[in-house]
Amino acid sequence: MTHSKRRGFGITFYILLLLLPIYWLLNMSFKTNQEILSSLTLWPQNFTFHNYAVIFTDPSWYDGYINSMIYVSINVVITLLVSLPAAYAFSRYKFVGDKHLFFWLLSNRMAPPAVFLLPFFQLYSSIGLFDTHIAVALAHCLFNVPLAVWILEGFISGVPREYDEMAYIDGYSFPRFFIKIFIPMIRSGIGVSAFFAFMFSWVELLLARTLTSVDAQPIGAIMTRTVGASGIDWGVLAAAGVLTIIPGLLVVWFVRNHVATGFALGRV
Amino acid sequence: MLKNKNTPQTLMLSAAVGLLSLGLSLQASADQYSDAAKKWVDNEFQPSTLTKEQQLKEMAWYTEAAKPFRGMEINVVSETLATHEYESNTLAKAFTEITGIKVTHNLIQEGDVIEKLQTQMQSGRNIYDAYVNDSDLIGTHFRYGKVVPISDMIKGDAKDVTSPTLDLDDFIGLEFTTAPDGKVYQLPDQQFANLYWFRADWFERDDLKKKFKDIYGYELGVPVNWSAYEDIAEFFSDKVKTIDGKRVYGHMDYGKKDPSLGWRFTDAWFSMAGEGDKGLPNGLPVDEWGIRVEDCHPVGSSVTRGGAVNGPAAVYATRKYKEWLEKYAPPEAQGMTFSEAGPVPAQGNVAQQIFWYTAFTSSMTKDGLPVVNEDGTPKWRMAPSPHGPYWEKGMKLGYQDVGSWTFMKSTPEKRRLAAWLYAQFTTSKTVSLKKTLVGLTPIRESDINSEAMTEAAPKLGGLVEFYRSPARVQWSPTGTNVPDYPKLAQLWWQYISQVTSGEKTPQQALDGLAEAQDNIMMRLERANVMATCGPKLNEPRDASYWLNQPGAPKPKLENEKPKGETVPYQELLKSWEEAEKS
Repeated sequence: MTHSKRRGFGITFYILLLLLPIYWLLNMSFKTNQEILSSLTLWPQNFTFHNYAVIFTDPSWYDGYINSMIYVSINVVITLLVSLPAAYAFSRYKFVGDKHLFFWLLSNRMAPPAVFLLPFFQLYSSIGLFDTHIAVALAHCLFNVPLAVWILEGFISGVPREYDEMAYIDGYSFPRFFIKIFIPMIRSGIGVSAFFAFMFSWVELLLARTLTSVDAQPIGAIMTRTVGASGIDWGVLAAAGVLTIIPGLLVVWFVRNHVATGFALGRV
Repeated sequence: MLKNKNTPQTLMLSAAVGLLSLGLSLQASADQYSDAAKKWVDNEFQPSTLTKEQQLKEMAWYTEAAKPFRGMEINVVSETLATHEYESNTLAKAFTEITGIKVTHNLIQEGDVIEKLQTQMQSGRNIYDAYVNDSDLIGTHFRYGKVVPISDMIKGDAKDVTSPTLDLDDFIGLEFTTAPDGKVYQLPDQQFANLYWFRADWFERDDLKKKFKDIYGYELGVPVNWSAYEDIAEFFSDKVKTIDGKRVYGHMDYGKKDPSLGWRFTDAWFSMAGEGDKGLPNGLPVDEWGIRVEDCHPVGSSVTRGGAVNGPAAVYATRKYKEWLEKYAPPEAQGMTFSEAGPVPAQGNVAQQIFWYTAFTSSMTKDGLPVVNEDGTPKWRMAPSPHGPYWEKGMKLGYQDVGSWTFMKSTPEKRRLAAWLYAQFTTSKTVSLKKTLVGLTPIRESDINSEAMTEAAPKLGGLVEFYRSPARVQWSPTGTNVPDYPKLAQLWWQYISQVTSGEKTPQQALDGLAEAQDNIMMRLERANVMATCGPKLNEPRDASYWLNQPGAPKPKLENEKPKGETVPYQELLKSWEEAEKS
């Protein structure tokens, strides 16, 4: 009894410690700049929504969130559409160089995004994709597709081949089998892949910033405007930070069970 | 049948109604722009140096000139600053309503603006239709040949879209955006200076004045030279220590290893110390970056090549920077960046700061701050910065930031011309006084001398007085000697931080900087990427050869700490006027 109590205390303390920076961000977002700069206060003395009002009343601010959400969603959809068949192929078929191809795919992820900046910029602006959501989504696929293929391949290999054969004998066409029977079996894997694709795309700034100027500008790039020659607008920056955490939080909430299963299955 | 018979009639009727309404709407759209102009002039663009009639006439010109561009959507970009926020939120909207050209004025961090600009320069692909870019890049722009000089535009393809009321001579920063070839490359949009900042209320206190005189033998006042600045710093940090029970400091600065550490050096520190040659806006042949030019070609920055970046004056200035930061600034200053250090004096425990951007004026005059009186007037003042022992009359004395509209050759012509219209609009006499009052970054002589500025002056701590004085020409941006600002500027903080961390002595760090700068210039020379006036480095020779030549690099002074000199603030205001005569 005392043992579990002590453990409860330990975990609470640990969680509080982890939440401290987030609390601090939240705390700052409700303070005026003057308060942030002048003294150390544990909670806002002059509670204000002004910083949030700045973001919600200015389209050039909230458009950043919308842009980010659009390209992140496109990216997640493309990633799943592309990597599901690929992962299935890698798992089920043998072809020349399959192992090498699989490894090569993964090695794409090992290159830092910065090396792709200028080539991508040149490519996208020459085909008229510069400053579009699809451009950023496609660029992020370079990193997300390999990871998703890798995760999904593990899940698919965990499904015995006999299912495929049984469905075939029962007269299912391949597409029907794939959608009706197969996909529900690797739900967790899809959830985990979608989660990782979302996370990467949501926080990636370098490519997103370079490939856009106005119409598809991500929130991360817009946030930099809080830094100016007359100082940093700490309050608005903190409010913007809080608002960027929320979508991630929502996604985690929805896929939390899948992620837990995914982790348990050991591929991630 | 019956139905059929009626159809033509109905058709005719509806066509007639349609035509009528089309006609009406055309009529309405002819007026929609002038209505908008009237609305904006009445409700927003007041005060102005123009009368309302003149304003409306100027706006009518914009409506007319923009006709061929109506319906276009253009994108321009600038850093974040109160002035640009006003442009982005208000002026862009007004321009769209008055001209029918939809403009998006994007705001991002200054570093990102430079990055986008460089990407466009290097790739030749259009990202933004115009940039507000600091005139510090003038040396870069005129050498690389990627920018359309506005003076060429005015005479050439933008002849019909150049406002007859632009009045270029009214711009106080035009000299800074003019290259050695005589062409004007950029149009100034906002400017602010780096001045000395001090607590005028403390400097007036009799007990402090007496104590200072007893210790140092001269009056407490605005320091004219670095010796006096050092004495005052020591006085407040070590002798006075507390005022009204609060710990106070006689100096404020920052020292974290961060790109902003380079700014304070490339901007002004060496020019105040007196590193370069005489000449305004920038020293010639050696400027405050220590770069020597011969016939517009940079020939080196190390002393051995005739430059001055590792010469005795620069070493002295760097040594003082470190010494003062450690001895007199609040202890946390050493771990701060530019943006963190900027608001500190507003907290009320700093007596003076040698180097303070006037961009902070409005944030330091907010009600309720410890440095603002009950009536809203500031307890502080700005004044000309003190100069180091190597400084001589006729040299620049500080930095001025001049954000200027910049147009790239790689922008499609029609988009560039539409953006040129917007650029002129944001600096036009109709809007510029209002913009100046909002952002406190004056660009026009006519605004500075206006009555509205006189009225605002008491709350601005000396800003108006400074800009009215002819002494302001001693505050200038980086000049034309610097061949590639982005490439060279990024070297500075890395070498200066070796001094702050104590890793290297000032001499060692600056030797490293000089070598790195020369290496970059050598690479530019080899790559031959510059259209004109590219670097042509001198062969290194013995340092004593160059030190014995007149001008920069200057040999080490016997006595680097002459007697301190101060002046009362009121007399200083007079000295600004005298600078005109000298």
